[in-house]
Amino acid sequence: MASRVLTVASLCAIVQLTGCAVFRNYDSELQQTNQHLSSGNVDAALALLEKNNKGEDKDLLYYFEKGELLRSKGDLAASQQAWHQADNVVFKWEESVKLDTGKYLAQFGSYLANDKVRRYEGYDYEKVMLSTQMALNLLALNDFDAARTEIKKTHEREAVIAELRDKEYLKREEDAEKEGIKTEYKDLQGYPVAALDAPEVIGLKNSYQSAFSHYLSGYVYEALGERGLAAPGYRKAAELRPNTPLLEQALLDLDKPAAKNSDSDVLIVVQSGLAPARDSIRVPLPLPISGNLVITPLSFPIIKEDTSTPRFSQIGLDHSTLELTALNSTTAMSRRALRDDMPGIILRTSVRAISRGVAQKQLNDSNPLAGLAVGIASAVVEGADTRTWRTLPDDTQVVRVRMSQGEHTLSLPSNLGGTRVNVKIDRPYQVVTLRVIGSQVYAGGPAIQVIPNTTVQAVASLK
Amino acid sequence: MFARFSILAVVVALASGCANNSPVLGGKNIGYGDSKAVELVTNEFGSTDLQMIAESMTRSLAQSGILQGRPVVQVYDVKNKTSEYIDTREITTSIKTQLMKSGTARFASDNTQMQSQVDQLKLQNQSGLYKKNTVAKTGNMIAAKYRLEGSISSIVKRSSDYKDVFYKFSLQLIDVESGLAEWMDEKEIRKTTER
Repeated sequence: MASRVLTVASLCAIVQLTGCAVFRNYDSELQQTNQHLSSGNVDAALALLEKNNKGEDKDLLYYFEKGELLRSKGDLAASQQAWHQADNVVFKWEESVKLDTGKYLAQFGSYLANDKVRRYEGYDYEKVMLSTQMALNLLALNDFDAARTEIKKTHEREAVIAELRDKEYLKREEDAEKEGIKTEYKDLQGYPVAALDAPEVIGLKNSYQSAFSHYLSGYVYEALGERGLAAPGYRKAAELRPNTPLLEQALLDLDKPAAKNSDSDVLIVVQSGLAPARDSIRVPLPLPISGNLVITPLSFPIIKEDTSTPRFSQIGLDHSTLELTALNSTTAMSRRALRDDMPGIILRTSVRAISRGVAQKQLNDSNPLAGLAVGIASAVVEGADTRTWRTLPDDTQVVRVRMSQGEHTLSLPSNLGGTRVNVKIDRPYQVVTLRVIGSQVYAGGPAIQVIPNTTVQAVASLK
Repeated sequence: MFARFSILAVVVALASGCANNSPVLGGKNIGYGDSKAVELVTNEFGSTDLQMIAESMTRSLAQSGILQGRPVVQVYDVKNKTSEYIDTREITTSIKTQLMKSGTARFASDNTQMQSQVDQLKLQNQSGLYKKNTVAKTGNMIAAKYRLEGSISSIVKRSSDYKDVFYKFSLQLIDVESGLAEWMDEKEIRKTTER
């Protein structure tokens, strides 16, 4: 009787302790949201997001996704508002890291809590992309001064992250040595190692520096006449993506005197696809538990690439075709983030499994039923953290052109539905942003107007 | 009676002192620091580097003897050849401010201010909004005798234990008419961090 009470009590306690965060399936939640987005129904996507986040205390992810959805809807003011909330969360994180890096690392490296029950604090690349996306929103409204603030924040944030990661990797190496965990991700049987070792992942300097962010900062500083600050922007972008003619040309052009004609210097930014999902995979690992090597199945995250949008590398402008240059891939950054985090994840997961295994063995010896209950509960709890900013664009490609002021038409490749977009150019420097998901095209800003596909077809059939 | 009163006055004066007695609101962890304090938070370009460069350049230029009779100087952007976001315009602004305060030179509108200057002249002369005798006449702007330009470059080296950054800032003053460099100086800064 006593043992039954104990079993029920321990099950209840586990359920209480783990809360909803554990049982929340972020992947399936966002799959539906993204389906609405791909079919052009932004309002339904927003409604679903609200339905899934009914609590008072909204987390960083909610604001990330909401900002991006509102941006697709064309409500840039509301999008900025949501992202400001996200930015506040990131700012607090940044402050806590700056104030006491050691304490932060000790908390983060804690072996007690599973990664997915932690409060979501965002991946480094998400923090960098947040202020980049905010800058794009402001540039869509031609507010270069406010965009400059976001750009400056991006590189200051990058510096904080760089210093933190330097310290973290050093601490992790020391910890792994202390705990005697020597497993590397390459040793995980059945884990898709090739995806983490792909050339585009290894080619990145780290997971958080984006060539696009730096190129954009170069462009904004140049537009504001600050060449001394534009140069490092282009230079950093070129360092991050070597042998990219667009970046090298930008640096060369900076030294040339400004063109005398009234043409505008236009940066066309095409953001396509969706950020990859994170899933959980179980890999058996031999762990030393109470003196014996026990094969224990452990959960590790994997990256699932989004396939909603076919890749393309050209865009039509009036009667000509422009080649796009890819400057950012969220999939590659996300894989790189996981690749860099893997040693820490393996260390934390293994240490937790060992201590759990020892505790369970003791419980099994004294009370087999309660031991079983704890075993089942921990199997439910143990899963990799699958939360990540999912509505973030995957690829960011750009092309920079000089064009006359007035109306122009951009057209997307026919395999994406051949959507045409009217653009009004009226500034000496102007950023034109398009968001492509599946065959849907979302205009970023009031100067851009997507021509509904039905009209395009009607015109085509008239001809 | 008078003696007592004066002693009291002296005591009150001593007690109150010259300290700034404005009340302080809030924040235990927030405080004002000395803006001239040596900053060694990270080894990236920082406030102390900016101040050091500006001071050394101003001193060198002011003592060179070139700037006789407060000549007009046009300041150009300092070329940033590093990969760091260094606001080089802030360095030249500091140099400009210090030279201006010491009365050694006068400065013509630089590239960024030129547009506002031209706009203002146009507005005054073409809009018909202003009283005639207060309108600034065109054709009276003073041309620069010298132009000031420079560059900043860096060499960064890292090993697993050290990070070494070397900055070199150089500035030159060129006579616009002759094209001759009349003055030149450079400031070198080395910063090393042990991990």
